[in-house]
Amino acid sequence: MGSEKTDEELMLAYAGGDLLAFEMLYRRHRGTLYRFLLRTLRHRADADELFQDTWSRLIAARERYRPEAKFTTFLLQIAHNLVIDRFRRLKPQASDEETEAVFRQLDAPESDQPERVLTEFEQRRRLQIALEELPEEQRVAFLLRVEGGLGLEEIGEITGAGRETVKSRLRYALARIRARFAT
Amino acid sequence: MSARDPDDLLRDGGGEIGDLYRRLPRYDPPRRLDRAVLNEAARAVHSGKPPRRQRWIVGIGSAAGLVLAAGLAWRIGHEPMSTNDTVAPTEAPRVVPVQPIDESARARHDAPAREEPAAPPAAASPPVEQRAAGAVSGRQKAVRKQSAESKPAPPPMQAETPPPAPAAAPAPEPFSANEQELDKAKDAEKSESLSAGGAPNATSGLATQPATSTKMRRASPTLPSSSVELQRDMQLAPRDWLAHIRDLMRQGRRQQATESLRLFVQTHPDQRVPADLRELLE
Repeated sequence: MGSEKTDEELMLAYAGGDLLAFEMLYRRHRGTLYRFLLRTLRHRADADELFQDTWSRLIAARERYRPEAKFTTFLLQIAHNLVIDRFRRLKPQASDEETEAVFRQLDAPESDQPERVLTEFEQRRRLQIALEELPEEQRVAFLLRVEGGLGLEEIGEITGAGRETVKSRLRYALARIRARFAT
Repeated sequence: MSARDPDDLLRDGGGEIGDLYRRLPRYDPPRRLDRAVLNEAARAVHSGKPPRRQRWIVGIGSAAGLVLAAGLAWRIGHEPMSTNDTVAPTEAPRVVPVQPIDESARARHDAPAREEPAAPPAAASPPVEQRAAGAVSGRQKAVRKQSAESKPAPPPMQAETPPPAPAAAPAPEPFSANEQELDKAKDAEKSESLSAGGAPNATSGLATQPATSTKMRRASPTLPSSSVELQRDMQLAPRDWLAHIRDLMRQGRRQQATESLRLFVQTHPDQRVPADLRELLE
């Protein structure tokens, strides 16, 4: 019975004092949130800290939750806000020139690119490296899409960017990942 | 598919890159984090706010307290003369014992005169003190001092001058107690008007608060006004709240803006803090 409830219903139930509803909600989203944080921040200690912080804030704000917002969006919005705070203290973004250089290489004819058949293991390794090397905004957009399963509008809502900007970030992220596979 | 086209990524499952992503190691949070989060969620439910029914009770209770305080304040506003009149005679016998001791000692030797007792001099001496303490606060202090000092006094009074003592002695106790209560009620009313902006919970506890706390509030008026402002900010919609914080910045009230923004982040963790305000959080 309980498993049929939507995330939004569970969150409202928890706001009304139903602890089991929270446990179910937590079980559903703990992995997604943790991986989003871990792959965005790239440090386990940071991910652990922000993971707990995200849930703490969600718990504190439970009575303000309104089901107009999808629960995943609400949760990842909180996490993203914390990530942004953390990023502000870290290194600057990759330059546009660097990104364009990646595109120039990708736009080269297929024949000019080295043909490689990568093993499964090698593919995963390269994807992981590519993710780590992505500029923060692109990595966040990519992870919100692939890990969080969010659409352009929802990603835009969370990151405060327009639809086209989000699309552009995803495009750049994809290009960089492919570039990593091509080298 | 062009390398620049993200449509593949936007398909259900994220296309081929999405498939590859899902084959990456699927990290999960450690168990200690699970425990910490679930404990926190449980604590919030069990020891956080009372359920709605109880909140109603608290609300009704505080409303009843307010009505009582208002009633008392109204009464005190309509009976200032009667309280003055009654206080004067009640205080007289308390001071009496100090002076008449000699006279009564003499009286033991001279004559057993009942008319001689110290009633007139006693009545004469306290008014001097009372005149000096003409203000209400002064009167309160005098009453408190006297009630503290007079406790050991009554025995000689009862022994030497039985007639005036029973008439006056029972009166001071209830009156001084009443006065203190009424003053508390006044304080409560004053602090209510201070926090009229919207601190419903704060007012509920006022009836039981010690007088010192109300004095402190009066002494530092910026503290409650600041918290009242913050509570008022909480009523604003997120966008209006941020606009208000910007206004505070423009007015040079940086500290207030910072406090308000911190509260904003706690209240709306899902709202982004605009770039121009982020510096306040650092």
